[in-house]
Amino acid sequence: MAKIELINVSKRFGKTTALKNVTLEIQDKEFFVLFGPAGAGKTTILNNIAGIQIPEEGMVRIGDEVVNQVDPADRNVAMVFENYALYPHMTVYDNIASPLRSPRYKKFKDNKAQNEAYIKEAVHKVAAMMKIDKLLERLPSQLSNGQRQRVALGRALVREPNVFLMDEPLAHLDAKLRNAMRSELKEMQTAFGTTSIYVTHDFMEAMSLANRIAVINLGEIIQVGTSDEIYYMPRNEFVAQLMGDPEINLLECTLVREDGSSLCWAECPEQLIPMPKHEELEERTEGMEQIHVGLRPQNVHYHFEKVPGAFTGNVYSFETIGNKSVLTVQVGDQHLRVIAPNGLPVKLDQEIFVTMEIDRAIFFDAGTTEYIGRFDEAAVKELVAEQAKEA
Amino acid sequence: MSPTAKKRLYAVLKNGGLAIYSVFALFPLLWMVILTFKSDAEMLTTTFVFTPTLDNYKQVLFYTDYFRYIKDSVIVAGGAVLVSVLAGVPAAYAFARYEFKNKEKIAFQILSFKFAPEILVVLPLYMIYQKLGLYDSYLGLIWVYQLISMPLIIWVVRGYFEDISVEIEHAAQVDGYNWYQVFLKFLLPLIKPGLVSSALLCFIFAWNSFTFPLLLAGIKIEPITVAATKYLAQSTVHYGQMAVAATISALPSIIFAICIQKHLVRGLSFGAVKG
Amino acid sequence: MANLTIKNLFKRYDNVGKKTKTVNDYAVNDLCLTCNDGEFVALLGPSGCGKTTTLRMIAGLEEITKGDIYIGETRINDLHPKDRHIGLAFEDYAMYPPLTVYDNIAFNLRAKGVAKGEIDGRVRDIAKLMHCEELLDMMPVKLSGGQKQRVNIARAIVRRPEILLMDEPLSHLDGKMRQSMRVEIKRLHIEINCTSVYVTHDQLEAMSLADRIAIMDLGVLQQFGTPMEVYDDPVNEFVAAFIGEPPMNILETTVIKDENDFFFTFAESELRILVPARYYSKVRDGFRVKMGVRPMDLYVGGPESKGNPERVAVFENLGDERRIGVRVGEHMMMLITNDETRYRHGDIIRLEVNGEKTHLFDLETGDRIRSDR
Repeated sequence: MAKIELINVSKRFGKTTALKNVTLEIQDKEFFVLFGPAGAGKTTILNNIAGIQIPEEGMVRIGDEVVNQVDPADRNVAMVFENYALYPHMTVYDNIASPLRSPRYKKFKDNKAQNEAYIKEAVHKVAAMMKIDKLLERLPSQLSNGQRQRVALGRALVREPNVFLMDEPLAHLDAKLRNAMRSELKEMQTAFGTTSIYVTHDFMEAMSLANRIAVINLGEIIQVGTSDEIYYMPRNEFVAQLMGDPEINLLECTLVREDGSSLCWAECPEQLIPMPKHEELEERTEGMEQIHVGLRPQNVHYHFEKVPGAFTGNVYSFETIGNKSVLTVQVGDQHLRVIAPNGLPVKLDQEIFVTMEIDRAIFFDAGTTEYIGRFDEAAVKELVAEQAKEA
Repeated sequence: MSPTAKKRLYAVLKNGGLAIYSVFALFPLLWMVILTFKSDAEMLTTTFVFTPTLDNYKQVLFYTDYFRYIKDSVIVAGGAVLVSVLAGVPAAYAFARYEFKNKEKIAFQILSFKFAPEILVVLPLYMIYQKLGLYDSYLGLIWVYQLISMPLIIWVVRGYFEDISVEIEHAAQVDGYNWYQVFLKFLLPLIKPGLVSSALLCFIFAWNSFTFPLLLAGIKIEPITVAATKYLAQSTVHYGQMAVAATISALPSIIFAICIQKHLVRGLSFGAVKG
Repeated sequence: MANLTIKNLFKRYDNVGKKTKTVNDYAVNDLCLTCNDGEFVALLGPSGCGKTTTLRMIAGLEEITKGDIYIGETRINDLHPKDRHIGLAFEDYAMYPPLTVYDNIAFNLRAKGVAKGEIDGRVRDIAKLMHCEELLDMMPVKLSGGQKQRVNIARAIVRRPEILLMDEPLSHLDGKMRQSMRVEIKRLHIEINCTSVYVTHDQLEAMSLADRIAIMDLGVLQQFGTPMEVYDDPVNEFVAAFIGEPPMNILETTVIKDENDFFFTFAESELRILVPARYYSKVRDGFRVKMGVRPMDLYVGGPESKGNPERVAVFENLGDERRIGVRVGEHMMMLITNDETRYRHGDIIRLEVNGEKTHLFDLETGDRIRSDR
């Protein structure tokens, strides 16, 4: 149980830089998620904490100790690998028992029988928790992917490490199993009671599991915060696009001010959207002409009849994403994604109307794509503070 | 022709072909074994009907230095395999896991040791060995046998190491094992099929080697392959004794081949390690 | 353009070992299917269900054990693949590597001896349709996964097939790419309006692309219907569990009678759910059955709700929706809500069920038990 710190860590492979000046502080007992697209450097961060790789620059600290020079075996970390890395020649039981038999983590160094008895108890306890107690005699090759994944988790959970490192443990499962396992992992979280660092590219895993999330891209930390903070106040458009499926709608808008007065209008493709009064936002957008308005698909609504303030568009596509559907509406040359219930009777290219909840929109600087603000920022900040307190 | 009749015909042809081939392959061996039981008098006058005798075996085993030849062969072939394993496995690991300059070129260079005909390299080696004092010594023969065994072991075992995902090593390290323990407890069991089969195959190749020991040894040290020719060189040709020497010297190869044939096929075809 | 009719189709592999669990060792078992002219039909099922075998039989790449396949009025069983007027887009982009994209698309037309000028016109038209004009001079190795798939489909439709067959064309693509290609395939279908058969194991793909879905398991057709039919009105437990994400909650239950009402009860759980009145003629006290309800059809009751108090085992805030998991014995019952209330592990909620949307399945056969209405 310990706090983990990375201070200005840089890692290079040959000429490519995998990590650039990464500084992170992960609190004791926190469930911390590293989130980003493929190749962002998430796994490299884990490997540097585990000691599998050593940074060229910077410091890695576990607890109060700088561990740059410490062997993986002596860091007391447990890791779940993306490809599970089970020992193919050992049974499930021996796989899970492996850390407890190692010279480093043996409980009873001089008494083999006592050690084995302890291992038996520990392995059975973990196996029961992971629901693999009936598979203990099997070899990894005789297991399904979901079962292998549980064994890999079991092998990490069997001892009490300083930190659990989990590298995309659910990535190779099919969608159904992944969701089911995510829920179970979430349920088990309370049982971990140990600092955990979890790598994923799936925003649902990040949202669901994390106390805090670090968004990473191209070896750099973009934003660190609670799931609400990142979802509602993304630092830039890149983060906003990553967090959410279907992706956030980004509209290019021109700001229109009525002769110097503070009233704002946003001119999107062909139509004006009235903006509520909000002094802080007005200050922040002062001098700007172009902004990007980010609207999550659940904040855009479709109508079959013309309503006041609605945009007119055509149905571009309609497809289900499981328990709900995504309706894509073409307005001018922009595509707007809208959440709709399954089985909505629409035909492609038919005329349809959309309205937008502008008070839930996120505004971005058109030039830098950085976050500017949102109308309900105060409420969101309250929510974030509450969530942070809970964590 | 109906499909069943077609299938039956195919089966007959297939088995007939295999039968002919097995006679072709096994008859020389059978002939050699028959010779060992014939006396010199019956050697050229009979074919399958003769009075069996064990005289040839007695002669070879009790009145010549046969066991010394066997001992020499075991030392030289065994030594060569041992050295190849000790040096070849780490080399294979390095080829599989590390990136270094000219890696593939070096790997190919090692394999190319097997390309040159033995007779081509043996003459310069003879001169060098004379100068270095390695001529007719165990060390010299073991050294030169590496040419036969090392490339095979490195290439087979390298394939095995490449099949083991590097995460398995990382997982074992994180589990609390240092590198040597990781190697012994996790890697060795996984490369075992390849290592054992390639090592045994090397042993057979080394055991059967003839050109190198013929020219680089032969006075103090006489492996069985070279010694077998002695029965030719003496005043009369004792075919029976020669057959005995050949039969016994072939035994280890045959026994090994039979024991390991299952593992050999599996062991030499890569991709045997599956997570 | 034509319709495709499959009549009592069987496929049996001679050397099927004990490994295949298909009924009577048939990879495809008595399949009857009719795809109307211009219809987009998805063959959906887990691996080994016979969907690819069926497609290959339509294409003529696999021998038919028994049964007939018609395109329009023509029986095509004995026709050579090239004479069947079909276009094929494979799972693993079978492109000719030494040829440019242009030549790859033109290959089949050249083989058929189409005039040079016409080939050029058709290739360029198709490339425009598939948004791959700028790729025409590139080599296949240079293309990304999505581009390859585009070219692949272009190649399949350039010969103006009567039936377009696609075998998991998107399975190699990653999430976002897959989604955008899905939209493009759908739009393409509307533009060329060609009868299409699409093989997939991904129920989302089938749901969003197909006009009708044929769900197969162990070589047997389970249900053939529109996406909403198979979603709302599954014929058996297999279809109910296979369609939908997150999957339908399906739990074993014992029905008990309490005064005049029937309730579902569950092992190792206090949960009691009122049996909808329409099932009263089907259930009796002590009746054992499986009950299925989709996560969207469960909801959290208000303060005056009479629903069972249940402990929240999992609460997941996924941004646009929230998922609540409740433990019912071994099973985790999932509930999806758009309500923005936050719960914590261990909070008590009143669980309510939309009785209209509950399904019953026979414990043994998995067949749906339908209500009287």
